[in-house]
Amino acid sequence: MLELIDASRHYDVAGRAVRALDGVRELFPAGSITTVVGRSGCGKTTLLRLLAGLTEPSSGEVRRAPSHSVGIVFQEARLMPWLDVAANVAFPLKGRLSDVDIAARVDEALTLVGLAEARRALPVQLSGGMAQRVAIARALAQQPDILLLDEPFSALDAFTRRSLQRVLIDIWSARRPTVVLVTHDVEEAVLLSESVVEMEAGRVVGRVTVDLPFPREATDPAVVDHRRSILARLVGGTDPVTQTIHSRRKQ
Amino acid sequence: MPARRFLAPTAVFAAVAMIWWLAGRAGWTNAYLLPAPSAVVAALSDLAVSGILLKHTLISLQRVLLGFALSVALALPLAVLMSASRLARVVLDPLLEFIRQVPPLALIPLLILWLGIGEAQKLGIIVLASFFPVFLGFRGGIAGVDPKLIEVGRVAGLTRREILTRIVLPSALPELVVGLRISLGYSWRALVGAELIASSAGLGYMIIDAENLARTDIVLAGILVIGAIGLLSDLVLRLAVSRAFPWLSADLEATHA
Ligand SMILES: Nc1ncnc2c1ncn2[C@@H]1O[C@H](COP(=O)(O)OP(=O)(O)OP(=O)(O)O)[C@@H](O)[C@H]1O
Ligand SMILES: [Mg+2]
Repeated sequence: MLELIDASRHYDVAGRAVRALDGVRELFPAGSITTVVGRSGCGKTTLLRLLAGLTEPSSGEVRRAPSHSVGIVFQEARLMPWLDVAANVAFPLKGRLSDVDIAARVDEALTLVGLAEARRALPVQLSGGMAQRVAIARALAQQPDILLLDEPFSALDAFTRRSLQRVLIDIWSARRPTVVLVTHDVEEAVLLSESVVEMEAGRVVGRVTVDLPFPREATDPAVVDHRRSILARLVGGTDPVTQTIHSRRKQ
Repeated sequence: MPARRFLAPTAVFAAVAMIWWLAGRAGWTNAYLLPAPSAVVAALSDLAVSGILLKHTLISLQRVLLGFALSVALALPLAVLMSASRLARVVLDPLLEFIRQVPPLALIPLLILWLGIGEAQKLGIIVLASFFPVFLGFRGGIAGVDPKLIEVGRVAGLTRREILTRIVLPSALPELVVGLRISLGYSWRALVGAELIASSAGLGYMIIDAENLARTDIVLAGILVIGAIGLLSDLVLRLAVSRAFPWLSADLEATHA
């Protein structure tokens, strides 16, 4: 069970009330994989933070089975600078599993993200994309019941991104955690989810079911169709890029 | 590169000695007030051969290490306590702030009255002088922990205690190390000060005793030894730290206490 019931989260920013999340009612069925899309600042991260229990809703309710473990990949890598790559991946497991089990999980997770060679490196020695992959490995090694990911592939090149998208689908198919993945890439959303939640200004403005078999290919016409229709709705007829250019010209 | 890192500072020391020597040769300085480098080296080797230097150095070293260790042993738990408990902050902060404002040297008369002129008084001065850099450094480090890292621990289900030991304390380490280095330096200064005022042994005493005998060469020799030991102990501390915590090496390069 993972559910938001009329959940709102308001922030006070310099005396102005910001409704980061505004009355969201949304159910994430156990074992489902959902993506959340929307423009920058629309409240995607706030939604994940509520699901993870990192912030309390200003009003409404967040329901999560207390026995369910949560793994999260933050928008930033958030590695402990004093631990090497392997120790960072092991971090959430320390004291919960035997050292042998931890080592096995760390090896498996690092291999999945393609960083088996970098296990002894310190975070300062990693590139941005490598650090992000370590963060992904850290969440995967936990084998959580609920896996939350906040734009996990944003710092990666297209090739690495594709392979990690496949890794995620494989893991989800095999272990069936409840996955909620935030992205601003609509194509990624269509590739990676049973349903796509569309957000705008703190509200959920649509939920699209993508009823296609996994794994999916970006070139599949059905994927392209879904992508086009979601984009059309999100952008609402006005292309944000040309909009920016127009408003700049006016100045 | 390591050769150059060692050579350049050595060259600076050599240059200073050279100017010192030239000033004496040219008659700009009074040989009694500022003996030539050769005279100081001669005094140094006399002191070394007779065993006097070793005796005083060991006594001073022992006092510094003991006092420094005592400071650290007091400061670490207190910093953790005061970071964790609001009550402790409210109760203890004003008192500590008061003590911090009083220069340890101003307390020497009081310490002599209370503790006599023995070891306890010297340890007292060292602790007063070296407590605050460690204490404040560690507290600052604890307060400066990245809340984003704490969230990583919270999601992983870490207890408060685990968050303290596995996230907060390690991330406070760089600032603690800076505090330790400053403290060690302050320990030396305070000790020599204490030995100058009331003591019958130690490097500070050796200097003041030489002054009474008008032996400026020994005074200068003592100063050289104190400076050298200070330099060396900082080096040892830095080496020990970068051995134990390789990820701190970059920080150590950047900070000069
Ligand atoms: N801790 C906070 N304090 C104040 N305001 C906040 C805080 N966190 C988020 N907000 C505000 O809430 C709104 C939504 O932020 P959020 O981080 O959820 O957006 P997002 O959809 O994740 O954006 P992005 O795609 O850029 O990451 C923004 O207007 C932001 O300024
Ligand atoms: Mg975000």
